[in-house]
Amino acid sequence: MTAILRRELHSYAVSLTGPVAAAVMLFVAGLMFRYINLHNGYATFAYAISNSGIIFYIVVPVLSMRVFAEERRQKTDQLLFTAPVTLLDIVLGKYLALVIVFALPVLVMALYPLIIAHFGQGPFLIDYASLLAFYLEGCAYLAIGMLLSTLTENVILAAIGSILFVFATQMIHNVYSLFSGGGLASLVFFVGFSALLGILVYLMTGFYYVSILVTAAGAIACFALFMVNDEWFTGKIEWILGGLDFYSRTIDFYQGSLAIGNYVYFLSVAVSGLALTMLSVRRRQLM
Amino acid sequence: MIEVKHLTKLYGSHLAVDDLSFTVEEGQVYGFLGPNGAGKSTTMNMMTGYLAPSAGDVIVNGHSILTEPEAAKRTIGYLPEVPPLYPDMTVREYLTFAARLKKVPRREIKSSVAAVVEELALSEVEDRLIRNLSKGYRQRTGFAQALLGDPETLILDEPTVGLDPRQIIEIRSLIKKLGKKHTVILSSHILSEVSEICDTVLIMSEGRLAACGTPESIAESREAVTTVTILSPEEEKALRKALAGLGEIRFSPAEDGLLRCVLTMRASGGEEGTDPRRLITKALQEEGCDYFSVEVARASLEELFLSLTDETDEEGGSQ
Repeated sequence: MTAILRRELHSYAVSLTGPVAAAVMLFVAGLMFRYINLHNGYATFAYAISNSGIIFYIVVPVLSMRVFAEERRQKTDQLLFTAPVTLLDIVLGKYLALVIVFALPVLVMALYPLIIAHFGQGPFLIDYASLLAFYLEGCAYLAIGMLLSTLTENVILAAIGSILFVFATQMIHNVYSLFSGGGLASLVFFVGFSALLGILVYLMTGFYYVSILVTAAGAIACFALFMVNDEWFTGKIEWILGGLDFYSRTIDFYQGSLAIGNYVYFLSVAVSGLALTMLSVRRRQLM
Repeated sequence: MIEVKHLTKLYGSHLAVDDLSFTVEEGQVYGFLGPNGAGKSTTMNMMTGYLAPSAGDVIVNGHSILTEPEAAKRTIGYLPEVPPLYPDMTVREYLTFAARLKKVPRREIKSSVAAVVEELALSEVEDRLIRNLSKGYRQRTGFAQALLGDPETLILDEPTVGLDPRQIIEIRSLIKKLGKKHTVILSSHILSEVSEICDTVLIMSEGRLAACGTPESIAESREAVTTVTILSPEEEKALRKALAGLGEIRFSPAEDGLLRCVLTMRASGGEEGTDPRRLITKALQEEGCDYFSVEVARASLEELFLSLTDETDEEGGSQ
């Protein structure tokens, strides 16, 4: 694992993706710090973090798009997968490199509350809890980005995939209210959701009949439930979409509540991302 | 020793490798021969654990590639068709990484990297980025990587493709040298290369083993039928009488009013290693027949290869 970790870190350093990601993060966070904290005089650095969400749109694809896609494109995965290391070693080595590269600018950001402290009393606990939430949110994104890079050997596609994922999880809180309606709208949504699930199953397993089966089973179940009791669907859309809502989970911290459960949420997204990455790589070997 | 047992690989509905079984003995050089798309690379990728077989198993030096992949992979050095190089690393960095990946003990990393650099004459380019290397150097860097960790078995997928003639000779002599210490399995579609370097040839076609053995033994087994062409000024009747009992005879007119007689003989060349030409000339002389030439069509490895792979092509029909 350490061999892979060291090679990845080396690659981030010489390919400039690491420095570019760090520069983007420090530029955006620094700008927000300058504007919100220094210029407008708020003592809470968490406000600056909460306005730095754009970072993920750039940093996640830049760091994660190449992880497996590039290995496949230049056929170096043949070296990794025929070496006496486990798949877990490979995935963990690569993921650790990602979160280390992402951690370096976050550590620099950790200095900002100290600068504020120089001028007066800032809310240290909220600031650092928010920074940790920001970091773990990034780690969750990077795990999903890595998963997406196993699905294609085209780094651009992998990048577009992770940008869309960031977009969905940052924006989904805006659309809950549109779906609060009952009955038919929910049914349409759930059938669509089954189809999406089917597509995901196809990407992960490569068996189109399994994905058709999943979609059909989902759709039939939805219709059946709808016939039996259409009340059941009320509020369920929110519940499903809520599972993808990264934004609200960090906002809790920025607004001053220490919602520790949200840390667990981000960590479990990261772990699921790693598990699915391993599954996806294994599936490629079977294909 | 490597045992390949009923190895099968399906790509969707395409059968790339079809119930392949063979055993590779220690300390020999094996050559995989077959046209493009015969399943050579797929087989090698399954033997090294890069691809999972659809069915079957590979036992590498006592370890199953499916149930004990790490132990099995530790004994294999693999050079894939495209050398797996990171263009953003120098040769030395890359080989050091490969040595770490192969769990070479920490204190031996430097010396084992130096050893393979020496072996493949890479010292000139040691500090250059792989991105900037010529194809020959890249191939040699990939080869050096396969040698790291001193594996018992080397699996080389088309090791001489894309090299210039001088480099090909160098790589071939290196493989011969390595064949004394390691078991080497290489694939190629160049026949002269295989017959030059390899002790045993495995001819693959359409995912199946078409023939296996030393280049000579394959040729012999195919020579169970020997074809002899005789040019003679005699009458058909006289020749038929002289050659009766030796085999099946066909006549066709040849230039200058001669007769071409094609004799198809069963059981090659007689039991005591007698040359079929001796048998025929003797028979003709006894009957007082005159003849201008007697030629045996000996199957070269090239012809064998074509005949073996054609047979299966006719059945399969696809590429």
